[in-house]
Amino acid sequence: MIHDEEIRRQVIEVIAEEFELDPVALTPEATLYDDLGLDSLDAVDMVVALEKKFGVKLANEESIRSVRTMADIFALIISLKPAGQ
Amino acid sequence: MPPHQADAIVIGSGISGLTTAALLAKSGRQVVLIEKNKKPGGALRRFKRAGIPFDIGFHYTGGLGNKEILRVLWEYLGVWPNITAVPLHPGGHDLFRFRKSGRSVRAYYSYDLLQEELITNFPREAGGIRDFLANIRRICRTVPFYNLDLPLTPFLRDYLTAGNRSLADVIQTSVKDPELQAILAAPALLYGIPPRNAGFALHSAVTHGYYSGAYGIVGGGQAIVDAFITVLQRTGTEIITNCPVEHITVKDGTVQSVIAGGHEIKAEQVIYTGQPNALPDLTAKGTFRPAYIHRLKDLEDTKSMFILFGKLDCPDDGPRLATTNLYSLPPGVDIMDAPSPGTAGETLLVTAPGRRDVSDGSDAPAANGVIVMRPASWEEAATYDLGHKKRRTGYQTWKEETATTLLTEVEKCFGDLCPKITPLATGTPLTFRDELGGPQGGVYGTQHNMTQFAPRARTKVEGLTLSGQSTLMTGLLGSSLAGLVTAGEIIGLETIWDQVLT
Ligand SMILES: Cc1cc2nc3c(=O)[nH]c(=O)nc-3n(C[C@H](O)[C@H](O)[C@H](O)COP(=O)(O)OP(=O)(O)OC[C@H]3O[C@@H](n4cnc5c(N)ncnc54)[C@H](O)[C@@H]3O)c2cc1C
Repeated sequence: MIHDEEIRRQVIEVIAEEFELDPVALTPEATLYDDLGLDSLDAVDMVVALEKKFGVKLANEESIRSVRTMADIFALIISLKPAGQ
Repeated sequence: MPPHQADAIVIGSGISGLTTAALLAKSGRQVVLIEKNKKPGGALRRFKRAGIPFDIGFHYTGGLGNKEILRVLWEYLGVWPNITAVPLHPGGHDLFRFRKSGRSVRAYYSYDLLQEELITNFPREAGGIRDFLANIRRICRTVPFYNLDLPLTPFLRDYLTAGNRSLADVIQTSVKDPELQAILAAPALLYGIPPRNAGFALHSAVTHGYYSGAYGIVGGGQAIVDAFITVLQRTGTEIITNCPVEHITVKDGTVQSVIAGGHEIKAEQVIYTGQPNALPDLTAKGTFRPAYIHRLKDLEDTKSMFILFGKLDCPDDGPRLATTNLYSLPPGVDIMDAPSPGTAGETLLVTAPGRRDVSDGSDAPAANGVIVMRPASWEEAATYDLGHKKRRTGYQTWKEETATTLLTEVEKCFGDLCPKITPLATGTPLTFRDELGGPQGGVYGTQHNMTQFAPRARTKVEGLTLSGQSTLMTGLLGSSLAGLVTAGEIIGLETIWDQVLT
């Protein structure tokens, strides 16, 4: 299993790359909609990108609907404990 | 000379593009429809061999009964008067045959008859059969396309996903007999997703159309295309064929124009109905974010087929083919597996949609045509792939051998019901890839399965909208509805829904 810190790092990496965002802006408090400028269309792309990166299924997770900030994403991915790559 | 400007440009003249174009034109917009092939119609086109016209992508459909959605839509658009639908029910049915047991079961295009026939054949499973069919109907009561009193928007928001189970799971918990399981799984062949990956809700949405009554159309898919072209021409829509769109121009996140055949046409709305995986390459780098591009490029294709177009040697010996499609199935839910090398496998489909042309009294040449299909894997054809329309040597021989094996199986399996067949043409996963654009030769576009997110109509680019079988649902009905939803995204979903229904 990979360390939580490593998961956070990888989440930042994949979101920065896939959404062309500055990794420095991807702080835990950053809100996806207001701070990062993402919208509901991006939300599906985000789920797809995270599922692929971490080999997890997010679509059926109830908690996916309450994701607001980067910290919520970290917590969600950590809770699903992806296998190490 | 093509125009320089339009209100909307629709890319692709399959049924989705035709539907969107006709709806936008009816709303008063100046529409240009651009098609890369020489003739419009996409998968609905007919082609001719030895004087016999063959359908590629249309054998039968639901949704054409009085007050049913496809007919309502076609009435609204004015295409219905030019179409002669032939109901295949009440007597019409798919005939499912199992080679090992020799059992044949008729799956009627009617809930009541189907239920009765299934219970007669599988009396111990009566409860499961009733539940299974009732479940499909229950789900479809929540689908606005089948329950026209419902609004469209809430349905599209949660589109057939909530609490979904796989088709295989639902079948296996409902009934235990492997032959019955195969019969209930068989409609998955009409949308190309293996039952273990297909969501039960989507299965219900496709199958309900057929279980409620199936129809052929005199003149096949081509007759639908022709009816749409007539209506589009009446609205002044420009139809440009033999002209692939090479580029979609976007500036500051808003669509500007389309470049096709080296010619630029400006428009506020551009609708792309081709395979989603080809969209990113039609736009400049930076138009979409990597996340969306990867999502489109990674989409899994529907299953492919090996298809044979042939001539019935004594067509009048097989009049039942007019209202019956013959299926051979393996027992169990895994009906879509490609056969092992050198065999035809157990899943076969024999259909003769052209025989429905006879109903108008003419002795149409199409009535001599027959189509045989079996599932095919991309891998079995890929060894011959040298890129678009280029094949390695041995391809022709492989096709001929595959056709012979297939016809031997058809004779063994359906010799009593189907006259002898002379092969005229074949299609493989490579043919489907080159003709329809699916990266792995999928016959129904992108899989709308439980594990991937097919793209929706709206994109991040203002004025650029998607449509086509890969965006909502597949098949003639599904792709028509995709066209309706896309036009709705532009005109207003509930507005268009109200207009079509009243
Ligand atoms: C073998 C087979 C059997 C089938 N049987 C049935 C059946 O019995 N019943 C049923 O309901 N459905 C059936 N279907 C499915 C049905 O045919 C399709 O779902 C439907 O026709 C798809 O319509 P579409 O408009 O989404 O796509 P298409 O018909 O593929 O149209 C897309 C069009 O866009 C054009 N295009 C793409 N890119 C460009 C570009 N860059 N520039 C210009 N033009 C472009 C293409 O050339 C094509 O004409 C079958 C399909 C196949 C292949």
